[in-house]
Amino acid sequence: MAELLQYLVTGVGIGCAYALTGSGLVVIYRVTRVVNFAQGSFAVLAALTVTTLLGAGLPHGLAEILAVLVAGLIGLLCGLVATGKPGTTPQTALIVTLGLGVLAYAVEILFWGDQPRSFAGLAGSTGGVQTHYLLIIGVTAVVLAATALLFARTDLGRALTATAADPYAARIVGIDVLRMGLLAFAVGGALGGLAGVLITPVQQVSFDSDVALVVNGFSAAILGNLTRPALTLAGGLLLGVVQALVGGYLSTSYQSEVALIFMLAVLVARAGRRGVLEAA
Amino acid sequence: MTERSERHDRVFWSSLFSSRQDGIRWWWIAGALIVSAVPLLLAPGQLTTFVLLGLSAMAVVGLSLLMGYAGQVSLGQASFTAIGAYTSGLLALHHTPPLLALLAAPIVAALAAAGVGVPILRLRGHQLAFATLALQLILLSVLGDADWAGGAVGLQGLPYLSIGGFELDADLDYAYLVLAGVLLVSLIAHRLVRSRVGRGLRALATGETAAEASGVPVGAYRLLVFAVSAAFAGLAGGIYSFFLGYLAPGSFPVLLSIEYVVMAVVGGLGSIGGALLGAALITVVVQLLTTLATQPGMPSYAPSVLSYAVYALLLIAVVLFVPKGIVPTLRRSS
Amino acid sequence: MIEVEGLTVRYGVATALDEVSLEVRDGEMVALIGPNGAGKSTLVNTLFGILRPAAGRVTTTGRLALVPEGRHLFAPLTVDDNLRLGAWRDRKGRDTGPIYELLPELVPLRKRPAGRLSGGQQQMVALGRALMARPDVLVIDEMSLGLAPLVVETLAGHLRDRHAEGLAVLLIEQNARLALDLCSRAYVLEAGRVVAEGPSAELAGSAGVAAAYLGLEA
Ligand SMILES: Nc1ncnc2c1ncn2[C@@H]1O[C@H](COP(=O)(O)OP(=O)(O)OP(=O)(O)O)[C@@H](O)[C@H]1O
Ligand SMILES: [Mg+2]
Repeated sequence: MAELLQYLVTGVGIGCAYALTGSGLVVIYRVTRVVNFAQGSFAVLAALTVTTLLGAGLPHGLAEILAVLVAGLIGLLCGLVATGKPGTTPQTALIVTLGLGVLAYAVEILFWGDQPRSFAGLAGSTGGVQTHYLLIIGVTAVVLAATALLFARTDLGRALTATAADPYAARIVGIDVLRMGLLAFAVGGALGGLAGVLITPVQQVSFDSDVALVVNGFSAAILGNLTRPALTLAGGLLLGVVQALVGGYLSTSYQSEVALIFMLAVLVARAGRRGVLEAA
Repeated sequence: MTERSERHDRVFWSSLFSSRQDGIRWWWIAGALIVSAVPLLLAPGQLTTFVLLGLSAMAVVGLSLLMGYAGQVSLGQASFTAIGAYTSGLLALHHTPPLLALLAAPIVAALAAAGVGVPILRLRGHQLAFATLALQLILLSVLGDADWAGGAVGLQGLPYLSIGGFELDADLDYAYLVLAGVLLVSLIAHRLVRSRVGRGLRALATGETAAEASGVPVGAYRLLVFAVSAAFAGLAGGIYSFFLGYLAPGSFPVLLSIEYVVMAVVGGLGSIGGALLGAALITVVVQLLTTLATQPGMPSYAPSVLSYAVYALLLIAVVLFVPKGIVPTLRRSS
Repeated sequence: MIEVEGLTVRYGVATALDEVSLEVRDGEMVALIGPNGAGKSTLVNTLFGILRPAAGRVTTTGRLALVPEGRHLFAPLTVDDNLRLGAWRDRKGRDTGPIYELLPELVPLRKRPAGRLSGGQQQMVALGRALMARPDVLVIDEMSLGLAPLVVETLAGHLRDRHAEGLAVLLIEQNARLALDLCSRAYVLEAGRVVAEGPSAELAGSAGVAAAYLGLEA
């Protein structure tokens, strides 16, 4: 029983990282229609930045927050490269973000080498579970709630939603659609960065951890068709828990397949339904 | 398959070997002759690069066809290289004649593509990109866990390829084998794009519903191109396994698939010449930089940093500023 | 207010507008009528900077606001949020109160998502959103399309009232009778060219326009 509880908590904790990564994808996709392949790189860059800041003597907390802001800035720059040139289609931008993900490898190895890195999280354990998992869950809950409020309750959030819903109408009322897209990239970068900062103490990170992260984040978000934040959270938690259970009771070697097979199943099932609708 | 698409296929396959069709331009022949002299001039280390370049080119010709003609982004082309390599490797280790093992590589890769293609080719854009990526990750994970495939260590001690008693045991032999492979693959691709299939797919790229309405069996054509493109990669994988003599899941990382995408996009999607040029350009640039980066005094991480930077910057620059790719752009302006 | 001179707009090789000249003066209400595909919406999108002219000039003075063809509301947002976004350019003027006074029909809809409204309600919200920008010129593309006569009547009434207060209007309409009724002057656009223009009464009296757009025997 204690074992099960442990798997559930660690699963939810890891799932939070997927949900944050997926939410970043969703924010960016809704506003710009770009699927940001470099989403996992934000997490890696932020985590590596924390190791440097901690090494420079900054206290915990501050180092993590600064790293998340750095990730937001990197997100903004990615947005600028991927969508800044007039006439860039979302398909083109997807390929550009693929390139940005590879560029991140160069930067990461240049500054941090190619060996996995980690840093200490919240020490100790609570009820047989590493306390850090509880921190991950708490911070994720607060941040995702704040993001939801940003979208629902502020003029800026409404403008982002408006741009997502109808870019043409947004232009007509004078919303700068490009700037909204960049803002979305910045928010997406910060959310991705937060995922990396939170998860690295329990799962070390290396330059190529981004693929697993973006794939898991995409799998979390695909349930809600990359546009539904609540379903993305649910998807992330579901994946995290199922992976923890599979890893705990079956074998860790099947763990990574869980998200992949889930993603394929959702995609194919949805395409099948679309096919039936089209034929009708 | 519908009756109509079967008929189309028969037209395609017969057109492949008929000489009635025009189109092999003189500079193709001249280029092939010049390139075939190149291996004789290369130093041993450079020969290895030459072989690897040729193998990439084969996989990239397929990918370029898929992306250019079927309008699909695949981030899993290296899966089929892996399938081809493991097919040849496993068969050769289990005492199948090497030539037979090599021939099985493209066939098994094409069958695998046809199998997964039926469900996943209904996906579009980023969905297909992620689906192909997911399939590759699953394949790598399965290979890494499978005892019959040697697990993470992979397969070792593969025999050399031998054709009719002649054993290919020198790099130069493989250089010419790869050249023949590139030639074969380019020829098939060339016929394919000139065939009814190619015309149908071009129509499809401009407007799917219109093409579908005019009787082009869209789904079957797309599956055909997917399978052919996988066969090319599979053949490359098969040669690879004999050339190196060992293989492991780590030989076919996701990054290899991305590398193929970079080569295809830089050269120009849907262009055979573009695929060859893209593969050559990027391999040579990366090789030059690696040579530079391994000079004494350079840090140990320099080669990987430089090669990642080259892939990334070339991909981004070409996509944004030469969106058709180098070869189609040059051809248009000349 | 709006001055268009020799405007040519192309989509690729297809010419949608061919040397069009048109003018809306201060406080004037002008109709632009013409069949489907004449280029009316193209003109609108050029006025709002969404399309670039291939040749010619567009000059506007004062604030412009648009009720676009197809309404283009922000479907997931509430009516109130849609209205507020209408004043996006004007950070301080986002109070929606005055609009509810002008368009009392919207009051009971405040909290409803715009995507769930009927066509007539949506058109009213689109009008409210445009008025939120406190424009000097209002451009309306296809005001009456697909709406019940009673709703059209209400909308036309609001338009008359705003016009009486000094708002200039460029009204684009398929319903030529309604447009000529509301406006003092009109332009007729066909296949990207202005084929007739003048005071509404004169145009309504001209044989060609009457036959083509008012369904009268020549
Ligand atoms: N995005 C586009 N790309 C290419 N051609 C277009 C585009 N939009 C409109 N057109 C063409 O330009 C011409 C003018 O279209 P426009 O929408 O301006 O006409 P309209 O007068 O507003 O018609 P309607 O009464 O149907 O609204 C039409 O022939 C149309 O097919
Ligand atoms: Mg129109």
